[in-house]
Amino acid sequence: MALKTKKRVEVSQELNITSMMDMFTIILVFLLKSYSTQDISVAASSDLELPLSTSAKEPQLSVNLIVTKTQIVVDGVPVLNLTMVPDEENPGQELIAVPEDEKKGQMITRLYDRLLEKAEQSKALGDASGSKEHEFKGRILLQCDKTLPFSVVREAMYTAGQAQFGEFKFVVYKTTG
Amino acid sequence: MGSGKGRRSLQQGEELNLIPIMNLVSILIPFLLMAAQFVHLAVIDSTLPVIGPPQETPPEEDDDPPLQLSLVLTRQGITIAGADAVLNPDAEAAAPVEGEEDKPTIPCKDPNCATPESYDYELLTEKLGLIKDEYPDDENVIMVPESRIPYEVIVMTMDASREDKDASGEDGKARTLFPFVVIAGGAK
Repeated sequence: MALKTKKRVEVSQELNITSMMDMFTIILVFLLKSYSTQDISVAASSDLELPLSTSAKEPQLSVNLIVTKTQIVVDGVPVLNLTMVPDEENPGQELIAVPEDEKKGQMITRLYDRLLEKAEQSKALGDASGSKEHEFKGRILLQCDKTLPFSVVREAMYTAGQAQFGEFKFVVYKTTG
Repeated sequence: MGSGKGRRSLQQGEELNLIPIMNLVSILIPFLLMAAQFVHLAVIDSTLPVIGPPQETPPEEDDDPPLQLSLVLTRQGITIAGADAVLNPDAEAAAPVEGEEDKPTIPCKDPNCATPESYDYELLTEKLGLIKDEYPDDENVIMVPESRIPYEVIVMTMDASREDKDASGEDGKARTLFPFVVIAGGAK
């Protein structure tokens, strides 16, 4: 009787890893399917929700200008904060806007300085590499929150245009199917 | 006795040692988790309008003037400008009646255009398809959004003007309409 009990304990000590292997295989296949080598990534945040689009063009690495609901960021470095102003046409509602003291006409001065610096850096890098592939083309990736009014996007685009960035790439989430 | 021992060793040999595979998979999973992307990104190309010195010699008068297709996005809807000859072939180029506000070509489904979905993108695609029939070589469209129009509406309008998913083009894919977007300064 005692011998029988001992045998049962020995059997239960062996771990059956076949089912675990099955699970791992499924996870592995799923992860391999979602494996991606895209150049850019989006930091998920409640302030930045990109719009959905049917566009299928792949993004390429370039200067990254992010306009969220609260701030403007260039290549991961915050440049300035946005404010809320009362909406003249809809009393009681507010619109996101660039603070007046940060602007000179349509141009956002602090953003202009930062982008100009980036443009000079990119040009210097392009010249140093000597290859046509890396030369400065004035390309800029624009990630904007979908609820932003066009006035903010226009000011950011105008400023980028003044800082020699003329080729805009609006980053969007690709709709599947 | 001998045959019994042999059978036992055969049974043991049948069991695969899965531990090294488990190790390998355990290393692969964190690596793949890091590289996995659950949202796919895409880009939409656009340029600013080119501002240059005025041309010294005026362009030659042409029987077939170029299409200057513009989409004006307002809080009332979408107005297609520059293609009146296609959209209203019978209408005379009469001046708008005073005191009467211009109605957009494609009014919103909901009178206040409260949400981005209230704009009628299907009708826009249909109208642009008609314009494309007349001007098959033209590929540019100028967007003129009002200041308060949400960015999402502009992106959805770009989608509607890029291609017609319901009509198939020459290569069997969706029919390309006006893929090159220029964003103008916009209406105040």
